[in-house]
Amino acid sequence: MKRWVGQFRELWTRERREADLERELRSHLEAEVEEQLEAGTPPEEAHYTARRALGNVTLTQEDTRATWGWPTLEALIQDLRLGFRLLRRDRAFAVFSVLSLALGVGATSAVFSLFDAIVLRQLPVREPERLVVLSFTLPGQSPNSNLPYPHFERMRSEARTLDGLFAWTTVPRISVGFEGRTELAAAVGVTGEYHRALGLRPALGRLLTPEDDRSGHAAVAVISHGYWRRRFGGSASVLEHGITINQVPFMLVGVEPAGFRGVTVGSSVDVTFPIRARDLLSEHPASWDEPFATWIEVMGRLKAEVSVQEAERDLNLTFRRVNADAAQSVPTNSFAARVAREANLRLESGSTGGFSNLRHGYESWLRLLLAMLGVVLVLACLNVATLLLSRSETRRQEIATRLALGAGRWRIVRQLVTEAGLIAAFGGALGVVLAWWGSRTLLGLATPNSVPLPLDLGPSLSVIGFTAAVSGLSCLVVGVLPALRSTALGPGRATREIGSWKRRLVDRVLVGSQVALSMVLLVFAGLFVRSLQNLWKVDTGYDRSNVLMFSVDAHLAGKRGRDIPGTYRRLLDQLAGLPGARAASVSSVRPVTDSYYFISTVTSVGKKTLPDDRPLRIAFNNVSPGYFATLGILLVRGRDFDRRDDGNSPPVVIVSEKLARHFDGNAVGQRMRLGRNELREVVGVAKDSRYANIKNAPREVAYLPMFQARPEGMDYSPTFEVRFSGPLPELLDRVGEAVGQVEPQLTPFRVKTLEVQTQESLSRERLLALLASYFGGFALLLACIGLYGLMTDAVRQRTPELGLRMALGAPPSNIRWTVMRDSSLTVAIGALAGVLGSLAGVRLVESQLHGLDPANPLVLTAATALLLALASAAAYVPAHRAARIDPMTALRQE
Amino acid sequence: MRRLKRPDRVELLQGTLDLLVLRTLLFAPMHGHGIAKAIQRNSEDLLLVQHGSLYPALHRMVQKGWLDSRWQDAPKGRPMKFYRLTTAGRSQVATEQSKWEQVCRAIGLVLKRAEG
Repeated sequence: MKRWVGQFRELWTRERREADLERELRSHLEAEVEEQLEAGTPPEEAHYTARRALGNVTLTQEDTRATWGWPTLEALIQDLRLGFRLLRRDRAFAVFSVLSLALGVGATSAVFSLFDAIVLRQLPVREPERLVVLSFTLPGQSPNSNLPYPHFERMRSEARTLDGLFAWTTVPRISVGFEGRTELAAAVGVTGEYHRALGLRPALGRLLTPEDDRSGHAAVAVISHGYWRRRFGGSASVLEHGITINQVPFMLVGVEPAGFRGVTVGSSVDVTFPIRARDLLSEHPASWDEPFATWIEVMGRLKAEVSVQEAERDLNLTFRRVNADAAQSVPTNSFAARVAREANLRLESGSTGGFSNLRHGYESWLRLLLAMLGVVLVLACLNVATLLLSRSETRRQEIATRLALGAGRWRIVRQLVTEAGLIAAFGGALGVVLAWWGSRTLLGLATPNSVPLPLDLGPSLSVIGFTAAVSGLSCLVVGVLPALRSTALGPGRATREIGSWKRRLVDRVLVGSQVALSMVLLVFAGLFVRSLQNLWKVDTGYDRSNVLMFSVDAHLAGKRGRDIPGTYRRLLDQLAGLPGARAASVSSVRPVTDSYYFISTVTSVGKKTLPDDRPLRIAFNNVSPGYFATLGILLVRGRDFDRRDDGNSPPVVIVSEKLARHFDGNAVGQRMRLGRNELREVVGVAKDSRYANIKNAPREVAYLPMFQARPEGMDYSPTFEVRFSGPLPELLDRVGEAVGQVEPQLTPFRVKTLEVQTQESLSRERLLALLASYFGGFALLLACIGLYGLMTDAVRQRTPELGLRMALGAPPSNIRWTVMRDSSLTVAIGALAGVLGSLAGVRLVESQLHGLDPANPLVLTAATALLLALASAAAYVPAHRAARIDPMTALRQE
Repeated sequence: MRRLKRPDRVELLQGTLDLLVLRTLLFAPMHGHGIAKAIQRNSEDLLLVQHGSLYPALHRMVQKGWLDSRWQDAPKGRPMKFYRLTTAGRSQVATEQSKWEQVCRAIGLVLKRAEG
C-alpha cells in the first residue's frame, strides 16, 4: 500500500525528477569543463572533451530514469486501458461475465450484510468489547438468559471484577399518551446503572441514574432518538411536558443518543424507564424477592484487564451463595432445589448485545444461506473462468505473437489478470448495488406483513470489506488460471498447438465442477421445497382458514384488577354477536407464534403422584369458552368450558390427547395437580394440535379456563380469535367498531388471519426454498452455458477430424452421437460428484428439514433428471452443428 | 616482433561499480563528477568510470535506500548534487566487499589450477 502511495506521488513528481536529473548532468558537465580549463585545454576544445567524456546524455537519462522504478503503476493504467478496449469489443462476453459475477457477489453480500446486522454488529456504545452477558446453566440444558432479581442485586453489590452491572426487562407494548393522543410503543425497564455502564451520553436532557431506580421515586422516562424524532418531531421542548404510559403520568427527562436502539438486536426500544417503575404499571408487584422467578436479563461491563473467565468465577461465587440461601426455603428434592444446587452462572461476550430472539432464530438460517450463496459465487467464478479460457483460445495467436516479440510472460499474465480484475471490479460494484437492494428485500421477505425490523443495514466496514474480499478473490480465481495457461507454452509451440489433451482436461474439470455444484444446489432446493410442502401439509390440529386474530391489552388503556377480565369478557360478547362471526374466543397464547408461551409442571396425574424432581413439563394456555370451536380443534371427549367456569366454580382443565395418555383410563373426571398445589378436574380432552410453533411436535398441553385462571394470566395481552364467513374487510371494520364500543382507549394490534400467521411462521423456510430454487436454476443455467462453450470449442478443435469422418461416409447421426458422448462423460462425472457432495452436505441442513429423509430418492432423481435434460440440450446444439459440417470446408482447414 | 605496450585502461567488471561508489562515499559525501574522478585517481587512472553507467547506478542505489542525495554548494561555489551513504548503505559496503573478495578468491583458485 505504502509502495502504491509512493508510486502515485512519483507519478506527480516525475517532471520534477526529470528536471532534477537534467540539472545534475549539466552540473557534471560544467564541472568537467572547468577541470579541463584548469588543466590548460583551450576553451572550445574543453567543451567538446567534456561532452565526449560524459557520453550519450539522452541514453544516460533514459537508463537513469529506468532505475526510478515507477513503471508498475503506469503499466497498470496501460493494462486497464487495453482491458477496457477488449471488453468493449467483446460486449456479450463482458456483460454476461459482469452480470453473473454481480449476481454472485451481490447475493452473497446481501446475505452477509443481514448476517452482519444481526449477528456481527457491535453495540454503538463505549468499548462494547468489554460488555458481558449473563446467563445460567443447568447440566444438560440450554442456558437461560433470564435471571432472578435477588441474584442480580447481590452480584451488583459484591462483584469485584465489574465496572457496572445492569439488568432490564422488556415491555413489548405500552401506550404512550402525549397531548391527548395515545399510541403504542415498545419499552424497556432498566436498572439504574444501565446508561452509565453502557457509556452513553444523552442527546438531550439527562439519562437514567441509580437515584431514579428506587421504589416510590418519581416516575421518569427517557426516549430513544428515533422515537423522539418520530413522535415528538425532535423538539427540545418535549422535556417540559409529561407523557402518560398506560395512562400513568411520567416525566420525560432525556433523549438517548442517535443510533442506540437498546441492547437487543432486532427489537427497537422507544421508551426506557427505571425497572422499579414497572410496579406503577401493574397491579402485581414484580418478583423482586423471589429467588426462583427468572424475569430479568443482565449484562455487565468488565473492569480493564479482567478476563471473562475471571469475572465468571467471581460472579458465580455470589450467584451460588444466593442459591444456597434460597435452597433453604424449598423442599430438598424439588425442582427448585435442584436448580439451586446445580445451576452455574455463565458469562459470554456481550459486545453484540444481549440474547436476541432474532439472532437466535436467524443465525443458523443465515449461515446456511451464506453457504449456499457462496456456492453460487464460486460457480459464477468458475463460469467466468471457463469463458475467459475459451476466449483466450481465440486470443492464442495474439498472445503467441506478443511472446514471440519478446514480451515477458509475467507482463502478459499481469495484463490478462488485470482484464479479469476489471470484470471482477465491475461485477463487484454492481454486486454492492444489488446487495444494498437485496438485503432489504430479503429482510422484507423473511419477515413479511410486519413492521420492518429495526436493523441498521447501511453498508458497514465489514460488509464493504467482505464484498471487496469476495470480488478480489473471484478476480484471482477467474483471472490467474486462464492467464497462466495461455502463456504457458513457448511462442513457437503456442502458435501451432491447439487444445492438447491436458488443456482440454482443465476445461472439463472446470465445467464438471460447475455441473457438480449446480447439482448440489438443485438437490438442496428440492429438499427445501419438499420440506416446506410437508410443513404446510402438517396437520396442525386446527382449521386455519377463515379465522381472524387480533390482540388488545386492557393495561394499556389504564385498566387494573378485575376490570381487565371484565373488559375482555365484554369484548368477547360483542364479537360473538357480530354479523359474519360464526364463533369467537380469547386465549393467552396465540396459535403458531412463539412470541410467548407458558410452561408449567404437573406434579400428579389421576392417582399417580410424580416424583418431586421428575415432574411432567407441560405447556399451558388460558382459553375462553368457544376456543376449540373457533379454531376447529376437535374435542375428543368431555365438554368445552362454559361461562360458569369462573373464579367461583371448582377449578377445571381440558387436556390435549398427549397429556390425556398419562392418565390411567379415561382422563375426564380425573384430577391433576398443576404446579405445587393447583388441583384441577379434567372436563375434556382436545385433539392434539401444534402449540405455539408449527415445527414443534405436538406436546402435552393443558387448557385452563381464561376467566378462572390465575390473575397473572391477565398480565399478557390476549389474542381474540373470530371464525368468520363472508368478506374479511367488512368484518375488520365491525371488529374495530366493537373494540371502540367496549373501550375507546383500546387499540387492536397484531391483526392477522390464522392463515397469514401460519405462512409467516414459515417465512424462513419459504424464503430458503425460494432462494434455493432461484439460485439452483441460475446455477444450472451457468453450468449449461459452460458446457455449451466447452462443446463448441471441442467441435471447433475436432472440425478436421469430424470432416474427415464425414468424407469417409459417417452419417450425421453418428457425428452427433460422437459429440454428445464426448460431453456426457463430463456431465456424468459432474453429476455423480454433485450427488455425492449433496449427500455429504445434507447432514448440515438436516435440522432445517421437516418430515424428510435427507437422502430423499425422489428429490435426487428429479434433480438428476432435470440436470441431465438441460445438459443434453446444451450439448445438443454444438453436436447438431457438428453434424452439419461441410466435409470439404473442414478438410481445407487442415 | 613484440612491442611493449603501455598498460591500458581496464573495463569495469559488471557489478563492481556499486562497490567502488560505496567505498568512495565511505569517507565523505561527494557529487557524481567527484565520485568518477576519485575512482579514476585512486586506481592510478587504471579504472575509467563511464558516466553513462555512473548516474543510473547512483539513482539505483538511492532507490535501494543505500544512498541519499541533496543539492549542496560545491567548494567551487557551484551547486552540485551530493550523494551520501545511509546506514543501510554503510552495511552494504561490507556485503559488497566480501562478495568481491569471494569472486577474487574464486578466480584466483581457477587461475592457479590452470597454471599448475
